[in-house]
Amino acid sequence: MAGTTTRRRREPVPDRPAQPAPRPKDVPRTIREMRLARESRKRPTPPQPQNVLREGLRLERVPDPSVLVLFGATGDLAHRKVVPALYQLWRTNLLPHEFMLVAIGRRAYDSESFRAEIRSSLEKYSRVLPLDDAAWRMFSERVEYRRLDFGEPDGFDTLARHLDELDEAHGTRGNRLFYLATQPSQFAEIVAQLGRVGLDHERHDAGWRRVVIEKPFGRDLASATKLNRDIGKVFRESQVYRIDHYLGKETVRNLLVFRFGNSLFEPIWNRRYVDHVQITVAESLGIENRGAFYEETGATRDVLQNHLLQLVSLVAMEPPATFQADALRDEKVKVLRAITTDPAAAHEVVRGQYGTGWVAAEAVPGFREEPGVDPQSETETFVAARLSIDDWRWSGVPFYVRTGKRMPKRSTEIAIQFREVPHRLFQNSATDPDPNLLAIRIQPDEGIMLRFGAKVPGLGLDVRSVTMDFTYGSAFSVDSPDAYETLILDALQGDASLFTRADEVEHAWAIVDPIISAWTDGGPPPFPNYEAGSWGPAASDELLARDGRRWRRI
Amino acid sequence: MAVVDAPGPGQAALRWTSRARSIAEIEQELSRIWSEVDLTVPDEGAGGRHIAARTSVMNLVVVTRRPEVAERAAATIQALTGRHPSRTLLVIAADPDGPAWIDAQVQAHCVLPREDSPEVCAEMIFLTAGGEAGRHLAALVAPLVVHDLPVTAWWPNQPLFASPQALDLLSTVDRLVVDGSSWSGDGLDRLRALAELAATTRIAVSDFALDRQSRWREAIACIFDDPDFLPYLRYLRRIAVTYATHDEGEPGGTNIVKPIYHVAWLASRLNLRVKAPLAAITGAARGRGRPAPEGRTMIGRGLHATLADGRGDVNVVVRPVASPMPAGTTLRVELLAERRGSELRADVTAEQEVVRVRVWQDGVEALDRQFAAPRRTDVDLLAQAIEASGRDPVAHGALGAAAALVGPAEVSGP
Repeated sequence: MAGTTTRRRREPVPDRPAQPAPRPKDVPRTIREMRLARESRKRPTPPQPQNVLREGLRLERVPDPSVLVLFGATGDLAHRKVVPALYQLWRTNLLPHEFMLVAIGRRAYDSESFRAEIRSSLEKYSRVLPLDDAAWRMFSERVEYRRLDFGEPDGFDTLARHLDELDEAHGTRGNRLFYLATQPSQFAEIVAQLGRVGLDHERHDAGWRRVVIEKPFGRDLASATKLNRDIGKVFRESQVYRIDHYLGKETVRNLLVFRFGNSLFEPIWNRRYVDHVQITVAESLGIENRGAFYEETGATRDVLQNHLLQLVSLVAMEPPATFQADALRDEKVKVLRAITTDPAAAHEVVRGQYGTGWVAAEAVPGFREEPGVDPQSETETFVAARLSIDDWRWSGVPFYVRTGKRMPKRSTEIAIQFREVPHRLFQNSATDPDPNLLAIRIQPDEGIMLRFGAKVPGLGLDVRSVTMDFTYGSAFSVDSPDAYETLILDALQGDASLFTRADEVEHAWAIVDPIISAWTDGGPPPFPNYEAGSWGPAASDELLARDGRRWRRI
Repeated sequence: MAVVDAPGPGQAALRWTSRARSIAEIEQELSRIWSEVDLTVPDEGAGGRHIAARTSVMNLVVVTRRPEVAERAAATIQALTGRHPSRTLLVIAADPDGPAWIDAQVQAHCVLPREDSPEVCAEMIFLTAGGEAGRHLAALVAPLVVHDLPVTAWWPNQPLFASPQALDLLSTVDRLVVDGSSWSGDGLDRLRALAELAATTRIAVSDFALDRQSRWREAIACIFDDPDFLPYLRYLRRIAVTYATHDEGEPGGTNIVKPIYHVAWLASRLNLRVKAPLAAITGAARGRGRPAPEGRTMIGRGLHATLADGRGDVNVVVRPVASPMPAGTTLRVELLAERRGSELRADVTAEQEVVRVRVWQDGVEALDRQFAAPRRTDVDLLAQAIEASGRDPVAHGALGAAAALVGPAEVSGP
């Protein structure tokens, strides 16, 4: 049993907030000293007045005029996600009129050919099709391409001068959002160059400067810490926006509303009523021509370290005092710090790799047969873990998490399994109703399902499980924005609530690092160990079966 | 009868249509929609799949006396792609004389939100009631709404807020949607009546005339997002709204609900009380007016009022200008604030799809921003109204302030 295992405590990650400074000698200590000090102080500055005209309007504020500098603009992420999100924000008038997109890449485009390229990408990836020609025309007028080798210092000097010119020409007022959609290995270099040419400097009269950094943020604790340090040499933490796009998904954001906007659930959201929690991030796709990337990453780094642990922290966190970015992130960090698992124990973490199989009525190759993958690859395409959160609320409640490629279907879900009733009153019932279950579906068919027992109509007293189902599609009938639209708009508005903080990233790596180390130290895994189109290796089922539980059928 | 075809994702398809001549028959037809075994969509090789359930959003009741208005309303509702109310009742009160009769057409329209999801359907009932039946709207509507879902009444054109039948109907609804800019005359009598209704009942009110101006409000609010300008917000001294007219300034000839809402919104947000309600500008006051903007011909008359806060008076001017724009359209909003000897002047104008904001601080241009903000269509406005829940304090505040600004006595329009 897990309870008998000695848990390996992770090396503590130093807290980000600075230690309190030593108290100066002249700090008042007694009541009298404090009273006299208060009397001698000037009256405190009155609180800054609020713009009361904003109340009830669509946005808390319209984003400031700004330039978005997109590094890696010719890459897949820029074409599939970032540019479509920007176009959609423009189309719905959520970007300022004084806006410019400066696309940076190493390929030999000019602005005209780049616009043609993104037009064709938008026709494939835009959330709303067909494209609105008038909106596209105005958006494209604000797009320009600049060729730049990230290792070439002169190019950044020229870029800095050019951004100043854009401020003059387009009224963008020195506000700049640098979006790094490049290979992770280039993050530090780009940030250093931005710092060298002074593009990080925020001045009262010269606008704000922010940097958005895509995942993966490091590949282990050491590299993430180094990257944080490199970025911290140039940008202050308040200027850094680390994207985990799961946090921008509507249902994930709704999780906060669901937990803290209803009085019904929070009182039972604890070890007294919850038996266990299951979180599944399943993908039916394979690695889609990203063999080389995935070989170096694997399911643990690709999903567990970020998406899954973010979901765990949102489910398990305490209510923040306010909805301010740092209040929210402080609570998430507390959860990450309280997570323990024993990576060396096979019954706590399970890994897998898919072999050949059938998905959606199509024969698919095994991972080792995919292009760009080593035929002897030991990279995991599946990982499942039993996490414990050692705090007052969750002690003794296991959090089972799993993620995998080539699962039977694409599905992301959080299931809160409640405890059984303490006493079975309806013993004559032909069937035992299942314990209550709350399932929060994140994709697809975003919604929430609550299972409870109900009497079967008739003269007897049979009890059967029934479900109450809420789906976004039938309740709101409104399209949800794409996660990237939400997150880019937040970054332009300076709201970091849905972005991960440096210490959050490091604590998440501190959970994952020992798992990967244990695998590296052990022998070769018996891969492939699950068939494509199945729910993972048998050991994954055993992970729960040992505790008398099973994965929810999704 | 079931109508089956297979639309693509996002396209609405008529799945059911039938006629009924009594409330009981309508109820029967509604239940048949969801129980017909052959109400399936052809599906390749699978032999068909059953149409999904109705949405669980809300009931929408459209009330009118004119069939052409009902048709226009139906077209607007149809254009709410993917945002349909669960059940729409288009109630047309026909000839009130003669015996009571009912003629209804019951329809189900369905949309496939995505290729891999079930269809989401909405019901639409065109209900024409004649004779005595047409005078008892609540008795027609109450049995036909989906229980436990909120009820919104959309009353296009000229609602009769004060009639007993209207009050009877409104007692059964949660939200009333109107368009104040479509009201006849200057619209002020209905504006007072609407404010009275909102103040004395629990009904939430949505007025397209106010919602349409959100692009102006966004632009005005953005001025004070700037920390340098924010301190001036509590020191407004003048609000001037210029609107288009075609009538050479005949009293009551142009609907002025929209220009009044601009002032009312500012007054309610800034807690300004009405010291003197709107009154026609007399000859002496006329001479102080600023020249007509951009060469337009100023009609020469308008309304003025005085608002006040603890710091002083705020002069309000609502003035007409001859313009080819639709009558009652806001052309310009000007603000003047004075604080500690410093002056902030703001000028907000809208052209087609763009709202422009210019600000001068002590005579020096300090801001010139444009916002892409297209005019909102009735489809957008209805979508917003049906998605809203509860009373919007900003809208209700503006409505109350508008009524106070107009004053209890009859105010003649320009």
